Amino acid sequence: MKYAGWLFLCLLLIFRLVTYNPGFQEGQKIRIRAKITSDPIKYSFYQSFWLAGLKLSLPAYPEVSYGDLVVVEGRVEGKELKEATLVSQEKRAGYLVKLREKLLNIYKKSLPQPHASLLAGVVLGVKSGIPDWFWQALKKSGTAHVVVASGMNVSLVASFLVSFLVLIISRQKAIPFALAGIWIYAAICGMDAPIIRAAIMGSIAFSAQAVGRITYAWKGLFLSAMVMLFIKPVWFGDIGFILSFTATASILAFEPKVKKIFAFLPQFIRGSWATALAAQLGVAPILFLTFGQYSLWSPLINTLVAWTIAPMTVIAGLAGIIGLAWPALGKVLVYLAYPLTYFFIGMVNFFSR
Amino acid sequence: MIYFWRYIYGFLGLILLTLVLAIASLPDAKLHLVACDVGQGDAILAVNRDTQVLIDGGADKKVLDCLSRHMPFWDREIEMVILTHPEDDHYGGLIDVFRNYKVTNFLVNAVDSDKNGYQVLKKLVEESGAQVANPTSETSVRMGKLYLDIVWPSEGKIGEENNSGRTNVLGAFTTKKDLNTFSVVVNLNFGNFDALLPGDIGPDVIGDILAGGEIHDVEYLKIPHHGSKNGLTPALLAASTPEIAVISVGQKNRYGHPNKEILDLLKEKEVKILRTDEVGDIEVLTDGRSWKIE
Repeated sequence: MKYAGWLFLCLLLIFRLVTYNPGFQEGQKIRIRAKITSDPIKYSFYQSFWLAGLKLSLPAYPEVSYGDLVVVEGRVEGKELKEATLVSQEKRAGYLVKLREKLLNIYKKSLPQPHASLLAGVVLGVKSGIPDWFWQALKKSGTAHVVVASGMNVSLVASFLVSFLVLIISRQKAIPFALAGIWIYAAICGMDAPIIRAAIMGSIAFSAQAVGRITYAWKGLFLSAMVMLFIKPVWFGDIGFILSFTATASILAFEPKVKKIFAFLPQFIRGSWATALAAQLGVAPILFLTFGQYSLWSPLINTLVAWTIAPMTVIAGLAGIIGLAWPALGKVLVYLAYPLTYFFIGMVNFFSR
Repeated sequence: MIYFWRYIYGFLGLILLTLVLAIASLPDAKLHLVACDVGQGDAILAVNRDTQVLIDGGADKKVLDCLSRHMPFWDREIEMVILTHPEDDHYGGLIDVFRNYKVTNFLVNAVDSDKNGYQVLKKLVEESGAQVANPTSETSVRMGKLYLDIVWPSEGKIGEENNSGRTNVLGAFTTKKDLNTFSVVVNLNFGNFDALLPGDIGPDVIGDILAGGEIHDVEYLKIPHHGSKNGLTPALLAASTPEIAVISVGQKNRYGHPNKEILDLLKEKEVKILRTDEVGDIEVLTDGRSWKIE
């Protein structure tokens, strides 16, 4: 009886996946009206983004952005919408989208590229401003995951809110606010697979705290995967979705063992090394099979730069919040992240040559 | 308590490191004239102390990388941006410049373009609060030891077309003529060092420009129009007698720039040729007396 619940969920999910019909036929000419839910990637002469599970490219101008309600026409070809044209566009910048614009502007107006876009990536998972050469370098060195908002960001946001709120109200009462904070943060980031996964897992972890139960990481992981696939069946087979789960699963599975094997390493690098190596054990084969390339240096470089990520996120996050109220002070605080981004970018460049 | 002190030390350490990096990036007193490697397009950056002048921005955000390489990280202000003419391989990157930097003065060609990108730039400039002016051959600018003398377009050339009566705005008037013929030509001077930066001008107007009598001997010539045949003429080369010729051009561009005839013309006159598609950013350093290629 113990597993009856899980069995039921699995059957429900299978039913959903089998009966799911995206409604598009190969070669069909369609018109889509939808809200853009993640950042369009900007190239010199075009911009590309996902809409209703299809990838499409439009000319660079007029620019579309996260939050816009657009109508596009094109022809379905696999998972792409070919020959796409923009029929109409409505700027629907809600409060959160504007807030996110303001935060990004604080970084852009304080530091040069790619430092500013690295901070935007680390804090909010925003990748649109990253110069192409730097994005290639991140991928080549196996560090592209740092510009994805995920578990660490969610737990930082939630613990931050809780530790502030417990000054005023009880911990029990603070949890709902922390949960709201997690989802507002996820909405500011843009609803990509890794941040949703992290937000679901974070919500489970924090709710479990509230009802006094120990959290079960594996359960959280599987439950979030199921919820996500149930809501968005198009993610089934999506490489970003698979990588996000494999990385988390292999950290859960292998990290303690890797830590034991490398017990001889000094403590301050053992943690990062174990996490990096454990994640790569699961991710490397997928990367190699999908993209045909994999950097064996990846665990090493990840260990070298891992320590910069948390302080970068905290400094840039605080600088963003303070900068909204007092731009000059925000700017000064962003400067403090410069030595960290300087080191990080230098390392990535060195290892991706 | 141990953790508390660890954070305090970490914080102080970061302040110290930031200061060290800031001091290490303090500029010298020389002029740095950089032809940015922006692929197919033009973007020329002149830096003297904490003053920057950017002439054109290339086609896209590649210009930001060039600015990052040649400006200190704490300097987020460009004192002057010049747009020679509204074609996308010259203004495209300026959209990103205005989004990432504060621009104090914008010296912009008065001709309008109905391209979507140019309309985006117009709106950005309006919101940015930059001082906008339309340059003519009467215009000259001094910034410290750096002088910029505008040679073209003449007031007559503008007057032929501008019936709108609007000046010192982006897109004062529209024209059916070739935009390149309106291109802003700049004479840049720093001590004894002179550079001629002629945008995309070509044979149609070079005669008129030379007739103005403002073209003189220079050390540095940016070859007009990316080395196109519809650019440099023997007469312009004879009047400017440069020692180095800089060609801003993209690798394997679809226009076949630079043209072989132009390269042959320069070789014949024994002018040293430097191309951004071959060497990347081209930086010339001068103290106003002597100069060298970095």
